[in-house]
Amino acid sequence: MNQLTLLNILIIFEAILLLVLSLIVFSLKKQSSREKNVVKSDTTVLKEDFLPIIVHEMRSPLSIINGAADLLVKTTDSLSVEQIHTLLNQVKVSSTTLLDMVGSILDISKMESGKFELNKKMSNINSVLDDECSYFEPLAKIKEMSLECTSNVDIPDFSFDPDRIKQVLNNLISNAIKFSSEKDKVTISARKEGNKCVVEVCDIGVGVPEEEKQLLFQKFFQTSNQGGRKGTGLGLFISKGIVEAHGGKIWVEDNEPKGTKMIFQIPINTN
Amino acid sequence: MPKKIMFVEDDEGFYNIFSVPLKMKGYEIVRVAEGSSAVEKIITENPDLVLLDIVLPGTSGLDILKELRERDETKSTVVIMLTNFGSDENISRAMKCGANDYLMKYNIVPSELPDKIAAYLGEPQEFAVKMTES
Repeated sequence: MNQLTLLNILIIFEAILLLVLSLIVFSLKKQSSREKNVVKSDTTVLKEDFLPIIVHEMRSPLSIINGAADLLVKTTDSLSVEQIHTLLNQVKVSSTTLLDMVGSILDISKMESGKFELNKKMSNINSVLDDECSYFEPLAKIKEMSLECTSNVDIPDFSFDPDRIKQVLNNLISNAIKFSSEKDKVTISARKEGNKCVVEVCDIGVGVPEEEKQLLFQKFFQTSNQGGRKGTGLGLFISKGIVEAHGGKIWVEDNEPKGTKMIFQIPINTN
Repeated sequence: MPKKIMFVEDDEGFYNIFSVPLKMKGYEIVRVAEGSSAVEKIITENPDLVLLDIVLPGTSGLDILKELRERDETKSTVVIMLTNFGSDENISRAMKCGANDYLMKYNIVPSELPDKIAAYLGEPQEFAVKMTES
């Protein structure tokens, strides 16, 4: 491992830190001006919670990047090649996590200020489903789970934002896999109901308690049966924002005989 | 024989950065990535020290600690909590349950962890050759 490579790693690390700090300062200023002008309501209380929670969530990947960089700098000569690869890969993984979080914050910021925009184009929902299933296939394989993707040829190409719908599916499928046991099955399907496209992601995992179903799409909400599984509690909130920006809706139902059925529908607009 | 440390940690990132300097110092590290099987594995492996996270899939670190202290085989095993949660309440609960120490992941750089461990296990014999295990 030469000094130049390490220097590059540290420069990237510093850039990420600066980005995060800038974001935090920006959020603080925004929150401060909001507090001066807006009468407090339940919604603003929720907004005030945002900063400490997201900062807490960011500390884990930042600490890991910091720790890996510290080892790479202080113990370069003692590390084996495999250990260097492990640490560098960890910097990459944690940086990606951090960037995803920054992306989520920006999405939420845009949604809450009414500036969230879609990039709609004529697209095929079956292709989006197939892409997502292929993406999650390796993860499902690790858990010895089966991922069943059912296409529906009756659904014509229609106008939606395929990247944003992929983001919704990404969140729903990763949750379904996360809350399922080994060898469970996750089913993803799409169907046409009138002028609406209905997409379902079903699992046979732990399910969502009845009293928590209404809270599931709130910012930072985590179900009581997480069982130590970690998450930011932002994914479903953003998914709801994306689906609603399409003029659709998203909800949760029990999957019979067990598990969860996450459903969203968006209008089929072929113009 | 190298001293054995059981590292109960579900987050692969934290496991990677904290296990590397310990392995470099010559400790044998055995990882448990979830809580429900931790007590049984600790009894089977009979480590010299346990590094224990609090938020874990299955069973929490505090419940694991309580059970370790109730079992004859593990009641005197050194247990160091290594966690993100630094509230006074959590620290107090862990110490009451019998933790030997409570370390915050944010406050300790990985290269300093072996010194903390050495305070309980003594200085390990450093490897003369470079470790090849990641």
